[in-house]
Amino acid sequence: MLPTIGHAAIVVALALSLYATLAFGLGARRRDRSAVASGRHAMLAAFALAAAASVAMMASLLGHDFSIAYVARNNATTTPPFYSVISLWAALEGSILFWALLLTGWSGLVLHRYRNRHAELMPWVGVTLALVSAFFFAVMAWPGNPFERLTPVPAEGNGPNALLQNHPFMGLHPPLLYLGYTGLAVPFAFGVAALVTGRTQAEWLAIVRRWTVIPWIFLTAGIVAGAWWSYEVLGWGGYWAWDPVENAALMPWLAATAFIHSSMVAERRGGLRVFTMALVVFTFVLTLVGTFLTRSGVVASVHAFTASSIGPWFAVAILLALGGGLGLLLWRLPALADRRPPPLAVSRESAFLLNNVLFLGLTVVVLFGTMLPMVVEAATGERISVGAPYFNAINAPLFAALIFLMAIGPALPWGGTSWSTIRERFAGPALLAVALTLAGVLLGMRGIAQLGTLFLAVFVVGVLGDEVVRGARSRARTRGEPPPVAAWRLATRNRRRYGGYLVHAGICLMAISVAVSATGARQAAATLDVGESMTIGGYTLTLREVVVEPLPDDARVIETRAVVDYGGAQSGSLATAQRDYPSSTTPIATPGVRTFATEDLYVTLLQADANGGAASLQVFLNPLVAWIWVGGFVVVAGAVFAAWPERRRLAMAEVAAAGRRDAPASVPAEGASP
Amino acid sequence: MRSGVRWLLLPVLLLPVGWLLFANIGVDPRTIPSRVVGKALPTFSLPTLDGTTLTDADLVGRPAVINFWASWCGPCVDEHPVLLDAAQRLGGEVQLVGVVYQDSPERAAAWLRRYGDGGWPDAVDDGSLAIDFGVTGPPETYFVDADGIIRDRVVGPVSTRAMAEGLAAIGVDAS
Repeated sequence: MLPTIGHAAIVVALALSLYATLAFGLGARRRDRSAVASGRHAMLAAFALAAAASVAMMASLLGHDFSIAYVARNNATTTPPFYSVISLWAALEGSILFWALLLTGWSGLVLHRYRNRHAELMPWVGVTLALVSAFFFAVMAWPGNPFERLTPVPAEGNGPNALLQNHPFMGLHPPLLYLGYTGLAVPFAFGVAALVTGRTQAEWLAIVRRWTVIPWIFLTAGIVAGAWWSYEVLGWGGYWAWDPVENAALMPWLAATAFIHSSMVAERRGGLRVFTMALVVFTFVLTLVGTFLTRSGVVASVHAFTASSIGPWFAVAILLALGGGLGLLLWRLPALADRRPPPLAVSRESAFLLNNVLFLGLTVVVLFGTMLPMVVEAATGERISVGAPYFNAINAPLFAALIFLMAIGPALPWGGTSWSTIRERFAGPALLAVALTLAGVLLGMRGIAQLGTLFLAVFVVGVLGDEVVRGARSRARTRGEPPPVAAWRLATRNRRRYGGYLVHAGICLMAISVAVSATGARQAAATLDVGESMTIGGYTLTLREVVVEPLPDDARVIETRAVVDYGGAQSGSLATAQRDYPSSTTPIATPGVRTFATEDLYVTLLQADANGGAASLQVFLNPLVAWIWVGGFVVVAGAVFAAWPERRRLAMAEVAAAGRRDAPASVPAEGASP
Repeated sequence: MRSGVRWLLLPVLLLPVGWLLFANIGVDPRTIPSRVVGKALPTFSLPTLDGTTLTDADLVGRPAVINFWASWCGPCVDEHPVLLDAAQRLGGEVQLVGVVYQDSPERAAAWLRRYGDGGWPDAVDDGSLAIDFGVTGPPETYFVDADGIIRDRVVGPVSTRAMAEGLAAIGVDAS
């Protein structure tokens, strides 16, 4: 019953999305508001149906209905309820269903929210979103049917991929990432609408800025959560491996970040408009490329789903999105060309221009490194792999340059600047950075990566802090408010600016932590008998015992656990384990991680001999890793602060919307922001 | 830009992207061909666990099996009986060589005492030989023919069947 309902919901949702495409198109051409409304209702219904299909799938997983092939492959009667539910996105077909759910959710939200505004743009936004949704429903109706039946019905299923039922973060990382990916269809839809209608002025940018920042928040949180998951689960002591699929998430992030910056210039100064539009197209195409890489079976990766027949579908979708977006862009190129030449002065515009060049450079470097193995293989049949050294060597200087720009860009005035301004703004922070870098040397930091990053990060935070203090002081003076109140009011009245500063500060924190943890990690491997010890960086690790027992909540999983006592700067004990899952031929590591303020003690069990009471351990001492996650929180908090609707502005927007229903409402000017 | 010319950008971008997307579909990315199979043995000179020196010249003239392993490596325990068996039965025809990978000589020697020392030389690698061979992680086993050409490679523990196939590739009949 449930699978029939689920499949029917998908087929009807496909029909509704196709209908919505036509209705929106008709509504746009004939300026027929009722057709547009009908299209919108169809999309909301498609969302409801995607939700129904998702619930049907979750219920089937919870009920262990092995008559559905997807459930039989990814669930077992012993699978705990939490991992049953999140198996919705643990494998290919279910993840596409989840994707369609989020995509139609975003679409419905945007179409509903702007139903009475932007009458020229919205029908084309609807056409684009409905078409993209239709594609995902079509994939599920034909090659990737999540409700495909299985006969004869097996008595027991395979259980979920062992790696994916090992940590509760599996409930968090994919949804965040998918919310980011799917949300980036919204700016693409607005970009297409702006190009089709020729309304390529500031109107679409004002809407799209926020609708890019929101998915950007989810994408950022998803990437950080994924790195964290990889660190806590995979047991190799690292958090980022330049895996093709990690890159697939990073590329749209880089492109979206470039867009957020270039759109500020486009919106406020009318520059970089071709660039901004191209970035919207590329960001969306890159989200599809990520889907293609993970779901077509072309790359080997911890993230890759099994090879499937949906590859060609996604290849065609990528070509259509790229070709369509680029075609529209070329068609409107004469109208988009910048009216004013880019300024050569030392100004905020040129900082933004350079920022965009760097972000684009990073995207190209990552894209090239990710695609090169595919190019070589397609051309010669040989297999090569592009490893971390390539990405680190080329990307590190680009990131360093970006961090430098983070300091000077926001502090430079638009248009141009003078030497005295430069001295006044940057001399203090530069001196502070020099002083703290020297302090870093005294504390034992070494190497250009660590010290250079520390210098740049302190410089950025110094400049930003100076900006905040300067602004708060001046407000406190003119309004007679106490400085903390003045600072808070200043920030909440210029959310985009000060939220952006917080994001920059968080990135700096992450940059220092990454630089130090990447270059300062120590590792050792040893086989210990019970009672034997090994040392690493001031810590002494002693094997206390080796235990082999089934997991309490899933008896089919056998855990081999080594309990290790450690002493040194901190002391205590930790357990590191390997779990044997019936669905996996290789045991899954569950590293033992102890996080201290300055370093992580990270112990992976490589092999254990339960009879002899011996264990082979790989031990990492990773400095500052915890601060990467803290930095991630700061980034997300800053972006949420920036995107938070302002009460005053919201009220004005409502008045404006109510005042002129049919007119393409202008979004009220936002605060003085970078 | 002249109005018509810019449209050339579309095929220029789309054709290669399309070729790239379709060319790799249906190829299994998990099979990784080795870059050293078919090539000559790299030159090396490494100390062994029993205090002598092993060089590539020692291996020419007789088929050889080179096994990268470590005491901290679990699957190395599983494959060890296969190596011991091969050494015992074919020791006259084929030279077995162990290469200790990212491990200390003391721990490696203790491991051999525990799991059985087959009597073949174990070179202690400083990491350079593993790089020359392109070792991704222990255990990895290479089959080298009498002319010093690498003929086969097994990633992960060697099964009896993989051992027989590898030996066949270097002209040794294991049956």
